[in-house]
Amino acid sequence: MGKSSRKQKVIPPPLLPPDVPEEDIEFSDEDLKFVQENTDYARFVSRIDTTAINKQCGGRVKSVEEKYEEERSKKKTHQEENESNEILVDPVDVLPVKTLDGKLHFRTVTKKSKLAEADTDEAEQDILEDENILNKSQRRAKAKKSKKEAKKQEKEWPEEIALEEETPQAAVLAEVKEELSAEEMFENSKNKLAELGMELLSDPEANIKSLKEMLEICKDEDTKIVKLGLLSLLAVFKDIIPGYRIRLPTEKELEMKVSKEVKKTRFYESTLLKAYKAYLQKLIILEKLPVYNQVATRCICTLLEAVPHFNYRDNLLISIVRNISSPDEVVRRLCCSTIGSLFSNEGKHGGELTVQAVRLIADHVKAHNCQLHPNSIEVFMSIRFDEDIGRRDKEDANKKKYKKNNKRNNQEEQNQVQENERKKSKREMMSKIRDEVTADHMGVTYEPDAIERRKMQTETLSAVFETYFRILRNTMYSIGESSEEANTTSNPGAFGSHPLLAPCLDGLAKFTQQLDLDYMGDLMNYLKKLASSSSVSNNTKQKNSKLLTVSERLRCCLVAFRVMRSNLNALNVDLQDFFVQLYNLILEYRPGRDSGIVLAESLKIMLCDDRHQDMQKAAAFVKRLATFALCFGCAESMSALVTVKNLLQKNVKCRNLLENDAGGGSVSGSIAKYQPYATDPNLSGALATVLWELKILTKHYHPAISTMATTLSNMNTSQSQTFLSAVTPQQAFADFSLEKESFEPKNESRKLNNKRKRGSSSEEAQNVLEIDMGRLNKKLKENFTILRDIKEDERERMEKKKPLKKLNNVVKKKLKNPKSKKKF
Amino acid sequence: MRPLDENETTVVFEKLFKFVGNNLKKIVENPSNEGPETEPGRYCFRLQKNRVYYVSESLVKRATNISRKNLVSLGTCIGKYTHAGSFHLTIMSLNILAANAKHKVWLKPTSEMSFLYGNHVLKGGLGRITDSIVPGDGVVVFSMSDVPLGFGIAAKSTQDCRKLDPNGIVVLHQADIGEYLRDEDEL
Repeated sequence: MGKSSRKQKVIPPPLLPPDVPEEDIEFSDEDLKFVQENTDYARFVSRIDTTAINKQCGGRVKSVEEKYEEERSKKKTHQEENESNEILVDPVDVLPVKTLDGKLHFRTVTKKSKLAEADTDEAEQDILEDENILNKSQRRAKAKKSKKEAKKQEKEWPEEIALEEETPQAAVLAEVKEELSAEEMFENSKNKLAELGMELLSDPEANIKSLKEMLEICKDEDTKIVKLGLLSLLAVFKDIIPGYRIRLPTEKELEMKVSKEVKKTRFYESTLLKAYKAYLQKLIILEKLPVYNQVATRCICTLLEAVPHFNYRDNLLISIVRNISSPDEVVRRLCCSTIGSLFSNEGKHGGELTVQAVRLIADHVKAHNCQLHPNSIEVFMSIRFDEDIGRRDKEDANKKKYKKNNKRNNQEEQNQVQENERKKSKREMMSKIRDEVTADHMGVTYEPDAIERRKMQTETLSAVFETYFRILRNTMYSIGESSEEANTTSNPGAFGSHPLLAPCLDGLAKFTQQLDLDYMGDLMNYLKKLASSSSVSNNTKQKNSKLLTVSERLRCCLVAFRVMRSNLNALNVDLQDFFVQLYNLILEYRPGRDSGIVLAESLKIMLCDDRHQDMQKAAAFVKRLATFALCFGCAESMSALVTVKNLLQKNVKCRNLLENDAGGGSVSGSIAKYQPYATDPNLSGALATVLWELKILTKHYHPAISTMATTLSNMNTSQSQTFLSAVTPQQAFADFSLEKESFEPKNESRKLNNKRKRGSSSEEAQNVLEIDMGRLNKKLKENFTILRDIKEDERERMEKKKPLKKLNNVVKKKLKNPKSKKKF
Repeated sequence: MRPLDENETTVVFEKLFKFVGNNLKKIVENPSNEGPETEPGRYCFRLQKNRVYYVSESLVKRATNISRKNLVSLGTCIGKYTHAGSFHLTIMSLNILAANAKHKVWLKPTSEMSFLYGNHVLKGGLGRITDSIVPGDGVVVFSMSDVPLGFGIAAKSTQDCRKLDPNGIVVLHQADIGEYLRDEDEL
């Protein structure tokens, strides 16, 4: 023992010695002799400070060592217990198995398992193990399997093994027994799972029946086992499911005589399908239980993603959609990503699943009254609509027709020349056969043809838009309700008041090109109402969570513009109402509360991108944005100023605002006075005012803004029209909002740099500084002393004055009555 | 010269409302800065020889000095009653309408002249159009550089305009500034 421990200590700790029973370690006689003779050499071993070594080796290594020790002790007890419990099978019959970590594994047969035959769960294993004893050849096979299983086990669940090894040592034998049996059962069924899985993967056709066994294991009460079973089944199914959909043979087909191979395949397929069905049923049941929710959802998602073409995919899809806005973050993510991948690789399932999924989601949204997590709608963004489907085919068809016509003409001519009946009939035959073949091919090939795909796409699109419109309408009604019955506290749900509005608007902006023009009017009406929703609430002046925020309303305006822009077929529509909204929203904007990015984007899209603007409106926006720039941070004011610049460049007449001539002259229109609080930009009379804000902005603390303001105010005088303002308000906002944080220190550092530059112009910069400091100190001191002197002086004077006064008085008195002088 | 009676007022206001919508209030309440009064007065509508005038109050006071027979015109003429008794807006009302217009149409430079000769506005000549126009609405016609050219009645809604062929009529002509030359005598 001592020697072995010495050995252990000498070896560097991270390398654990192989797990070999002590008895097996052989020492040569020479070694023994040497140690016995030179005990002095070995004495240092006894003196070794183990704790110090452990300390030096660090915590991790120490734990390894400890683990090692633990294992050894455990193994000892384990062995003892095993001896009591099990009959060691003669190693001649079954060779011991050496696992990867070096443990020798003797095949044993438990007594207990024989006793517990009544237990139904164990029955199978017992039978197998009994057979093991009976049949020698099988036993060998089993040994092989166990080897495999051990390998696989290590690959798949290394953590589990680590857990396993920490068997609690119990004093009471009965308890130990119970625990052991549970442990063993767990271990056994795990091994079994691994084993069956390996078999299935190696030869699915032969071992298809073991699917059933695996399913049986999944019925276990132990949650761990069930989870493991589900996951291993998932792995198996993922691999063995064929690339086609299985159609079970009809009665007629069953009656027909078939070859052996066909029979075999049929059997295989039907078994696979049955097992798959059972597995799915199990999954769908378990998915509703909170314990298994995550595992089951993971299985379902992976299955649908891997084999979206296989049977029963509808059921999978239904259960995924059900979970799409689950409160559990992990589950939701899984479901959303699965559906997203379904949408993005349509090739796998030919687009049919897309239609179904979209339809299901639409129904789901309907059922939940639009109170879902935004993620559930965001998945629509990954749908792709191909406009060219069928168009190419149509063109091809047209060409063919044309060609055919040509041919026919030729034929007719030929016929006129030589009427060969036989040839004609032959040609007809040929074409007939060709048609048949193509029809067959169409039936066999998996890809649906263009018409079908187009149909499906239309269906998808209608479902998507149905959902979007439902959300919009729902939001509108909720707003309507809240404004009517102002204070009723209708619960906003777990996801906020309008959880789906933002993704819905995004989606609308993306898919507008697919929208039919007939719906455009309705869509615009909805958006208009939504954008103007809170002007109603301002009257009631009640804060209601149901109302839309400024950013949401801005987004509505934005989407409206996007919709218009993308459907701009030669008709330039002026969205006046949305301009009015934007004009008012600028006033309602608060930097912290609302997203400035959206504001900058809407400035860009609504004001900068339009080629032509109303003069009055442009002037009103210029004025309001300039005022806006005065009030907020540099990012906001910069984006506003960029917009102003853009507007002024496009509208030459608006540059009257830059003239120092209030009243605006003839262009100001009927409104003679600027009305800053007007709600309609056309009626604000902005041309009657002057952009005095720019003058103030030239003194802005931020250099960029002040230069911008200067260039703006010089715009009128400089004749060159080619101001290249490549910057958009969005870009400006992004630049300056990043700079917001780093602005202050930068400025300081710049100042410092300047100082240094100035200093470095004279060679002894630092010395000068130091000297300066010294001088400064001296001067300060001097000043101080002078000041003190002056003060002291004053005080002294004051003190002197008092006696002087007295003296004066005395003198006066003296002068008045010379008698006193005599006294004095 | 006399104020409009109730019937006439509704007719005139309905006509104006078609063009300016809720901005009609602005037209009526527009403060006038005419005359020597320091307090801004109001504008009002007066009928004189079948013509309706939009006049500031201070001018009305002064106009009373002139006999009805001798008074040719005052303020801005915005429309006239025809012999059949219906009210028509005339081109002189364009300034008021354009400043408060709700529905606008901008013409491409190429089709400006056609409109100024008294033709309808066709889809092909449309430069821009405000949304949410309903057939029957009054529409003010502008050039692309925001000069008001005239007004008319919408024949098609904005949505329908999209699908219209280029020769379809969008706005029915009512008045245009070409009339100042063409019908100089009648005005």
